[in-house]
Amino acid sequence: MVDTVIRKRIEILVDTPLLPRIVDLIRSVDISGWSVLHVDSGGGRDGSWQHDDVTGAAAKSILLAVANETKAKALTDAIEPILESHGLLLLVGNVEVIRGDKF
Amino acid sequence: MIADTLTSPVILFFVLGFLAALIRSDLSIPEAFGKAMSIYLMAAIGLKGGIEVADAGFTNELMVAALAGIGLSFILPLPAYFLLRKLGKLSAIDAGAVSAHYGSVSVVTFVTAQEIFTDNGLGPAGYMVAVMALMETPAIISGLLLARRGMSDDAGQRNTGKMLHEVFSNGSVVLLIGAFIIGIVIGKDGFEPVSPLFKIGFTGVLCLFLLDMGLVAARRLIQSRKLTVPLIFIGLLLPIVNGTIGTVLGVFIGLDAGSAAILGVLAASASYIAVPAAMRLAVPEADPGVYLSMSLGITFPFNIIIGISLFAAIAQAMI
Repeated sequence: MVDTVIRKRIEILVDTPLLPRIVDLIRSVDISGWSVLHVDSGGGRDGSWQHDDVTGAAAKSILLAVANETKAKALTDAIEPILESHGLLLLVGNVEVIRGDKF
Repeated sequence: MIADTLTSPVILFFVLGFLAALIRSDLSIPEAFGKAMSIYLMAAIGLKGGIEVADAGFTNELMVAALAGIGLSFILPLPAYFLLRKLGKLSAIDAGAVSAHYGSVSVVTFVTAQEIFTDNGLGPAGYMVAVMALMETPAIISGLLLARRGMSDDAGQRNTGKMLHEVFSNGSVVLLIGAFIIGIVIGKDGFEPVSPLFKIGFTGVLCLFLLDMGLVAARRLIQSRKLTVPLIFIGLLLPIVNGTIGTVLGVFIGLDAGSAAILGVLAASASYIAVPAAMRLAVPEADPGVYLSMSLGITFPFNIIIGISLFAAIAQAMI
């Protein structure tokens, strides 16, 4: 039986042009690994949207990272002030990982 | 010319895309293909402009047209801003961001106008490609200064460096200017071996690209919940006023009818490629749902279907 430990899975939905800003924040709290996922379409309070390569500004991405609780807390504290102004969606949940020392 | 424009294949393909999206058709252009068409068109238009400048040289006319374009790009956001504030009831931040789009230019509108004007014997001077590239940026600075009226000092200062990098490193801008310079370097003789690729397929590719643009524009319009009646009105009024100013200025500085009309088209057009990405980065508080819906959903279709013919008619009537 493989041993697992609990870590935090962090997902941030962000407009693609703003990705570098969020990556800077992730780096600033010493989270060393993250992945960017392409998002095709979606909907929200302001209506639905669809990715297009024409404008780029309407493109959205999901930034995915796994971190220990301390780093996850530091990241949510850093992101909270710009959640509204940058139109971000931040999800944090528990996840079981193998090799917990990596996160 | 209006009838010729409305029955030209590029416009009809745009209308087809627009209508297809309105009836919720599942018609779509694969993303990679759309991107490839965009690269092809930018390279072709840049090369063509550069070759014509290599042929004609750097004339006084070019310099005057460039200065007129830069001036228009700096100034046009100002009346747009006050109209958006007073009539559109937008916040200072949103009005500043939207006004930057209306001072900057739409490359696709330019390419479409150039194609239609050339088909109707009104081909503009090749250097207008350079004028278009020069008009992309000044409006962003004006719009940003206007948007900062509604921002705190700290918020206003951030990201400016990244925003300018975003504007100057934008793929479309790099390719367009790069191809323009390549065109100047290689001249007509150097272009000859590659001309079959860039000349023969150009109109056909533009048709398919405008089909895609019609789909994107109509879907943006359908999906937006940010457009109000005053904003729609402003989205139609600004291209008429700005385009008329641009065309009259073009005639006044001595441009030929095609070049004056295309200066009008550039003044009338609103950016939806370089500026939205730059504004999203520099002014994240501004609502992209407003500026994208106005520039792409209202002003772009208006210019393609009506504006291009209108400014040509004004230029022809004045010269």
